[in-house]
Amino acid sequence: MSDFTNQDLDPIRLEVIRNRLNAAANEMAVALQRAAYSTNIKTRLDFSCAIFDSSVRVIAQSFSQPNHLGSLAHFVPQMIADYGLKRLQSGDGILSNDGHRGGVHLNDVCLVSPVFYKDTLVAFVAAIAHHVDVGGSTPGSLVGLSKEIYQEGLRIPPVRLLADGQLNDDIFGLIMNNLRSPKETAGDLRAQVASVNRGIRQLTEIIARYGRTTITQAVEEMLNHTERQVKEEIAKIPRGIYTAEGYMDNDGLTDEPIKICVKITVTDGKVIYDLHGSDSQRPCPINATYAMTLSNCAYTLRALMEADVLVNDGFYRAIEVIAPPGSIVNAHHPAAIGGGWETAFRVLETCFQAFASAIPERLTAGSKGCLCNIALGGESRRPGDFFVFYESMGGGYGARLAKDGIDAIQPHAQNTENSPVEEIEANYPFRIVRYELIPDSEGAGRFRGGLGLRRDYAFDHPVVFSVLADRAKFPPWGLADGLPARPAKYILNPDANPQEFPSKLSLELQTSDIFSIQMGGGGGYGPPWLRQPSHLLDDVLAEKISVERARDVYGVVIDSAHMIVDEDATRVLRENMCRQAESFERISDEP
Amino acid sequence: MSRRYRLGVDIGGTFTDGVLIDESNGTLQIDKVLTTPQDPSEGFLTITQRLAAEANLSLDQLHSIIHATTIATNAVLERRGARAGLLVTQGFRDILEIGRQIRHELYNLQTEKIPPLIPRQRCIEIPERMDHRGEVLLPLDEAAVAGALSTLRTQQVESIAICFLHAYRNPVHEQRAAELIQSLWPEATVSLSSEIAPEIREYWRASTTVTNAYVAPTVRTYLDKIEQKLSREGFDKSVYIMQSSGGIMTAAAAKERPIHMIESGPAAGVAAAAYLSELVGFPNALSFDMGGTTAKMGLIRDHQPNVLSEFEVGAHSGSGAGLVRGSGYPILASVVDLVEVGAGGGSLAWMDSGGLMRVGPQSAGAEPGPACCGQGGTKPTITDANLMLGRLNPDYFLGGRIQLDKEAAHTAINVHCAQALGMDVVEAASGIVDIATVTMVHAMRLVSVQRGYDPREFCLVSFGGAGPVHANQLAAELGIPTVVIPPSPGVASALGMLVSNLRHDYRVTRIHPLAEVELDELDTIWRDFTAQATDALMDEGLAEDKMLFNPYLDMRYIGQSWKLPISLPDDGLDATGVAWLKNAFDRQHEHLYGFSVPEEPVEIVNVGLSAIGLVRKPQLRDVPGASQPVAAARKCARQVYFAELKDFMECPVFDRHALQQGHVVEGPAVVEEMDSTTVIHPGYMASVARYGILILQQQ
Repeated sequence: MSDFTNQDLDPIRLEVIRNRLNAAANEMAVALQRAAYSTNIKTRLDFSCAIFDSSVRVIAQSFSQPNHLGSLAHFVPQMIADYGLKRLQSGDGILSNDGHRGGVHLNDVCLVSPVFYKDTLVAFVAAIAHHVDVGGSTPGSLVGLSKEIYQEGLRIPPVRLLADGQLNDDIFGLIMNNLRSPKETAGDLRAQVASVNRGIRQLTEIIARYGRTTITQAVEEMLNHTERQVKEEIAKIPRGIYTAEGYMDNDGLTDEPIKICVKITVTDGKVIYDLHGSDSQRPCPINATYAMTLSNCAYTLRALMEADVLVNDGFYRAIEVIAPPGSIVNAHHPAAIGGGWETAFRVLETCFQAFASAIPERLTAGSKGCLCNIALGGESRRPGDFFVFYESMGGGYGARLAKDGIDAIQPHAQNTENSPVEEIEANYPFRIVRYELIPDSEGAGRFRGGLGLRRDYAFDHPVVFSVLADRAKFPPWGLADGLPARPAKYILNPDANPQEFPSKLSLELQTSDIFSIQMGGGGGYGPPWLRQPSHLLDDVLAEKISVERARDVYGVVIDSAHMIVDEDATRVLRENMCRQAESFERISDEP
Repeated sequence: MSRRYRLGVDIGGTFTDGVLIDESNGTLQIDKVLTTPQDPSEGFLTITQRLAAEANLSLDQLHSIIHATTIATNAVLERRGARAGLLVTQGFRDILEIGRQIRHELYNLQTEKIPPLIPRQRCIEIPERMDHRGEVLLPLDEAAVAGALSTLRTQQVESIAICFLHAYRNPVHEQRAAELIQSLWPEATVSLSSEIAPEIREYWRASTTVTNAYVAPTVRTYLDKIEQKLSREGFDKSVYIMQSSGGIMTAAAAKERPIHMIESGPAAGVAAAAYLSELVGFPNALSFDMGGTTAKMGLIRDHQPNVLSEFEVGAHSGSGAGLVRGSGYPILASVVDLVEVGAGGGSLAWMDSGGLMRVGPQSAGAEPGPACCGQGGTKPTITDANLMLGRLNPDYFLGGRIQLDKEAAHTAINVHCAQALGMDVVEAASGIVDIATVTMVHAMRLVSVQRGYDPREFCLVSFGGAGPVHANQLAAELGIPTVVIPPSPGVASALGMLVSNLRHDYRVTRIHPLAEVELDELDTIWRDFTAQATDALMDEGLAEDKMLFNPYLDMRYIGQSWKLPISLPDDGLDATGVAWLKNAFDRQHEHLYGFSVPEEPVEIVNVGLSAIGLVRKPQLRDVPGASQPVAAARKCARQVYFAELKDFMECPVFDRHALQQGHVVEGPAVVEEMDSTTVIHPGYMASVARYGILILQQQ
């Protein structure tokens, strides 16, 4: 073969290597997804892969869940430090899931392998994936009422799962023995092994092709390049200090709301997130680890960037997250952390609220506002067998300056697909009897929020039904005079004998029961009485908004016999609304 | 009168291409006219008449016309399909609105969900319910169906889709509802999910059925019009339509199931590559089709294009390789496996905010076009880079139809890239090509390595106007030993239409643990599919000895959420069949994913059959054997830049049209023809094989 190689690094070679490294991370992800067993990884894509240099800095990352933004960047260096860099050999694969050693919740299990080139450690490749069950007191592990991490499942410190590229059967067996769904987990773990192996092969090829020195130089340049891009993007946010407070419904144990405090400082090329003032950690599973908090703060900055900035160490250099140890946003051992992503999600939206005081035009109003973890477990159709099912549900997306929010979607850090109803019913002993938009659940505004989403479950056998969610007390907020949306509701037997529950629950349900999860809508943007009547007519025609709500909240009168806007009545009604709003403003402006 | 001509017509966004072959001697005639977007059948007729006139034949001398068209895709992309309505199971009205509940852009706060093809007011719930075994939990409410029809009627609906839960398992409720529609409203077009895509996963099935209903009236009107126009011109044989699967079907079948013609155009290129590689004796090939805006990569194994069982229509292409998941409408139908990247001749080179040079995915398109084309473009493209590197001849682009302006290319690269990079223009131009190449390498790895195949065991069939310029470099990067370049690369993909077989695909979901499978039940399904396929192929005029049936099962480990197709052994399944299938599945799993778990039980998900009707392949016209030394084909020489040498080299330039079979051109060299340029790198040589096909290999 003719020689296309050259050892010098110029801007062209740099771009070529940068693309190769990102392609390698992407290939790891494709390998993981293709080989995975569980729906959660295969179709909901709850995993992420990354490549690190020999100093354990992220150089390329491929992921489909923004939640993983910081998980790997924070976790992998700590895993390597804990395990001991010196002990690593070629062919090793180190496994861990410990949230109190740099990780997130126990379900997110991370596999890291060192990459050696000619006997020198040159890089690391890592794959993290959400496993459907890691043992513990409740099926699905993360949803339940644990008080400490010991109830949440198997804690795996960094251990050598792979030696010489081979699975250590003893460790593998020990892990499988502690889980409710060993088949899926075994399959998914093997897919993670396939993924890191692909990464090792790819990196070895790349280094052989361009030479170690060139790659080392290229990595340095790549990270600096990203840092330059990030600085340029940060410069588009006005410098200043922005604060906000957010609240979660409760902790599941008591009904006491949880406070989140955010102070964001935008300086020259750096954004500092200070979470001092947030509540202390609690004896319940919604404590966030530092990696979770970091991930979701990082999301808010990344979402404000326009260019296709890569997420590598150059990006993380621009972010500092200060989270007081022992608080709900940086919980310490032995805090339970299974549902910590709920808290991290609240941190995320509170950060957006803080940014909204400076750049509302670039943001969205509040979204459905929680992850909404749902887990079911019980006896499967095969007598003696146990099943575990986990999913999360979409809802409304917040309205924007010139756009409605999206109906029924996963917002922000969350982007997992729904499980097909037919697949569920073919595999598990329960049924979905309704799955629909919730009319009138949007936050009203000049641009309206997205509609919330409802899913009703019925059961062939008794089950343990657990929900770890939020947003039943504090509805998704409106922006720039937009109104809040309908909050989430968690209702047992909604049609026969409705009984509302708080957002964190675990119930034993019978075959006669139906449980309805109703996610909130998204908040509105701008005053509702400025919404285009023709847009409202479309909403009414689609039965997304009722005629009554159009009139009462938006001031648009629709002649329901002819399905047209009554222009005159609308004008009168809206002038009134406008006057009222102005006089209200005058009153509230008075000292 | 002898019917010895076959015509292919491919209607693309800009051009309508025609390719006519005289089967008595393999003479190919190729022409193109501008596409007529208002009524594409006009361009169809123009190209047909023009080619017929050039060949001096009347249309009744054609024995078939094969047509690739984007009519169905465009109806979706431009949202110009029918006013359609949807009947769904009670409780599931929002199946289309909810979709997959995901965003296709992770960090764009202004993102949107793709709007459903049928708005909510035309999605109507019907009380009825099946369970996953196909047992009725709630009988069909026939009065509700009648009520829904009158609602849809008042909304001027013309096409109705029905998708009830678990209809893949038991279609009776859908069928009964269709009967009611037939009796109450005979002129409505009806698409049943249990017929269009009887597979598990309700959103995918509904999306497929709805898309079918949405495009059906448009496709029917269009094909009727074409058939009428052709018949007025004296053509009374069948018009065949290129399917997404790379096979063809009659226009009559296409009107029933237009869903199979969604990706009609791109499939032709891979079919052409399969045919061309077979001509020169390679069963396994990678196809590389590089045009003005994108490069498309496909994989061919044992002469067959790799076919996938689902895709998305209307999806956005991302900044990386391939399409962005979740940005289009999912379709459950066979489709040729293609990865498309934004690296074509017109792809733009630009500097990002961090000071790195990037190439694509934005393209200068036909307008304003590359800077060197003088159509108003000022930004540098891959074509400009190739010109600066001496790889293209400014006086012989498209045979001299367009004079390329080297000065303009120089300025564009200098102003937009070289100055910022602190490099000279040639280095920057070489960089543009290198960066485009790495994108193409990644795309090629996705269709090969990621599917479990080693590109080094394949040949690279390269076509499209820009393909042969880059093929040698791409092959070297991937370690592919052989490059195959057909004559007239710019139009070679149209050849795919003339060589495709008839094809029909059937698939139905039946979830059973393999160990408990009743082979008799499967046999019944396969027999039924085979009978349907035989009827369809016979209707299309095929003799039974020209039919091939490939029965297969989609299987997975129990607990796994994906599936792999496993073909049955040639002699069918006997008592040991179950063990055979298990073994075959484990091996395939190992091959594709690098591991298998033989001790784990397996289940079947779908029962499927692909039926192929073999169409006689036309013979290409051969080129004469070498009667003169290769030097006779040498036109001139020029300086061409090679990145591996970091320098220009004096290269002989050959006229492809003057090359004869058996000639060998040693690299570095350039071979020019009307619609493309082949660059042969130092250390490589090109030999002229049969039909004038160029074979590049290392010296």
